[in-house]
Amino acid sequence: MNLNTLAWRNLWRHKRRTLITASSIAFGVLLAVTFTGAGDYFYTRMIDAGANMGMGHITLAAPDFNRAPSSKKFLRQADQLQQQLAQIDEVKISMARIQGQAMFASAHKSTGGMFFAIDPEQENAESNLFIKAMIEGEIPTSAADKTIILGVDLARRLKLTMGKKVVYTTTDKHGDIVSAIARVGGLFQTGSNEIDGAVALLPLHTVQNVLGYKQDEVSVIAVILHDQRHSYQLRDSMQKMDSFSHIEVLNWQQTQPDLAGMIAVDKSSNYISQLLIALLVAAGILNTLLMSVLERKREFGVMMALGMSPRSLFVLVMLESFWLAVLGLLIGTIVTIPWYLFMSQTGIDLSAAYGDGFSFGGVLLDTVFKIRLFKESVIAILVGLFSLALLAGAYPAWQAGRTPPVESLKTL
Amino acid sequence: MESTIVELKKLSKIYQQGELEVKAVDDVSLTIKKGDFAALCGPSGSGKTSILNLIGGLDSPTLGDVFLDDIELGSLTHSELAEVRKNRIGFVFQAYNLIPVMTAYENAAFVLDLQGIEKNEIHDRVMQTLADVGLEGLEHRRPDEMSGGQQQRVAIARAIVTHPAIVLADEPTANVDSHTAEALLDLMQNLNQQHGITFLFSTHDQHVIDRARRIIRMQDGKVTADECRV
Repeated sequence: MNLNTLAWRNLWRHKRRTLITASSIAFGVLLAVTFTGAGDYFYTRMIDAGANMGMGHITLAAPDFNRAPSSKKFLRQADQLQQQLAQIDEVKISMARIQGQAMFASAHKSTGGMFFAIDPEQENAESNLFIKAMIEGEIPTSAADKTIILGVDLARRLKLTMGKKVVYTTTDKHGDIVSAIARVGGLFQTGSNEIDGAVALLPLHTVQNVLGYKQDEVSVIAVILHDQRHSYQLRDSMQKMDSFSHIEVLNWQQTQPDLAGMIAVDKSSNYISQLLIALLVAAGILNTLLMSVLERKREFGVMMALGMSPRSLFVLVMLESFWLAVLGLLIGTIVTIPWYLFMSQTGIDLSAAYGDGFSFGGVLLDTVFKIRLFKESVIAILVGLFSLALLAGAYPAWQAGRTPPVESLKTL
Repeated sequence: MESTIVELKKLSKIYQQGELEVKAVDDVSLTIKKGDFAALCGPSGSGKTSILNLIGGLDSPTLGDVFLDDIELGSLTHSELAEVRKNRIGFVFQAYNLIPVMTAYENAAFVLDLQGIEKNEIHDRVMQTLADVGLEGLEHRRPDEMSGGQQQRVAIARAIVTHPAIVLADEPTANVDSHTAEALLDLMQNLNQQHGITFLFSTHDQHVIDRARRIIRMQDGKVTADECRV
């Protein structure tokens, strides 16, 4: 009989114990999928939301703009840069924008805030979170429009309604103070007071004229990728390309360090939680196999007396660990699939606890708790738990061949 | 003249129990010839099982030498001893010690598998041996589906199927009733007489002692008598 068959049969000597241990592995799979899937989903949502709010997954900017934003720092030949970007497979869309600080004044009040000047032909609800969040009015029909889209809280503070005039004052490319008038053409509501009370959208060409920019001069080009996970290596490869060597190419971690920091901290605590779960599962496996080995001490003594080598006994117990892991992972997969399908498609609505939305690292998120796993995460979970199960079996396996046969045979 | 299978030369085994030294085997010299049907007998603690363990390479002597088929066991590594046990020695234990998840066939074939014998040959040898020990038709039964006597027959089959130089049987009849013990002894005697298999027993059982052609009596680790019966 080969060791594989013997190992499989040995597992079923104590059916209940084997099934309980396999179930603990299965539960580990479920938890790992939930924790990792929540991370994969939420981190991606946060990063995408952050990208859609302003700077994209990758940002092209004038040197030093990110560290110290200023109207004096701008990109030239934005059209050409966008043409170059269109040839990169990972790039979904690129959007030329101007952004800056401004004072917004109405007949009643004035307040500081931030503006994004956008080209309506390049942007839509999918690529721009503010457009998606519009509750009244429309986005400008052209980049030369004279309308402004305000956050609801900003409009409320300035006591402005649709059609009313607002003056915005900022600095131009030469550092001089400039002002312009716009009519309120729309309102957006993201749900975040910080954003709704301080942000406005303006037409790109209008702002170019106000700031003295040429038609192909902008603050940044925000690049949205098909998969945000490629931002890091794409940034590195783009920086080496001649087309982009004279400007700064930044990934979202650099343009949104607060978000990057918070995700990193959250990821770390996620990993620690998962490690603790994994250790508990490993302890269960170790306990089961060690008990099984100690119970069979005499039997192993007989096998060695008959000529089986300690190495073969080691392999036998490791195979038991292997099959236990396979069984656990199989049960885990069967149990987890329906859970994953539900959580990835429907999710759990947490709005009762969080309201309509909450912000994390300055980024707005919806309150439906979902999970989503990248292919690499699935492989990592399966390989990780499998390796852990084998590792947990190593000590019992080593124990199996350790006691001399004459000592083992004395065991009652 | 029969060849020597086992030779013990001034063999001693001393165990340390705390500060106390226990001489389980005390300066024993003897030989076992091919075809012997010999019994080591004596009271508990006389050194019978220790002698079997030393001959079987399960334990190492404190003093003296053990030769099995002219191989000096004391000079071998653990792996080499395992090889010797696999290829030259058959064991029959008091408690049968069959592997519970294996059938009678698989238990009997266990050592042949370890030896790497080809499957067809294993089948032929195991089936013949199981027939020889009276277990034809019971190949697919597991130990918990067999009586004590049947289990011990499987153990005997496992011990002899490899054609070992010697079969070491430690109290093989201790866990069966007298009727079954007699049947087992008939079997082993038959195997000895018809196939020339060498048996060395460690036993209290008078039935075994009565059947043995050579009786080696032990007391306090020493051989006190070594008688051959015609």
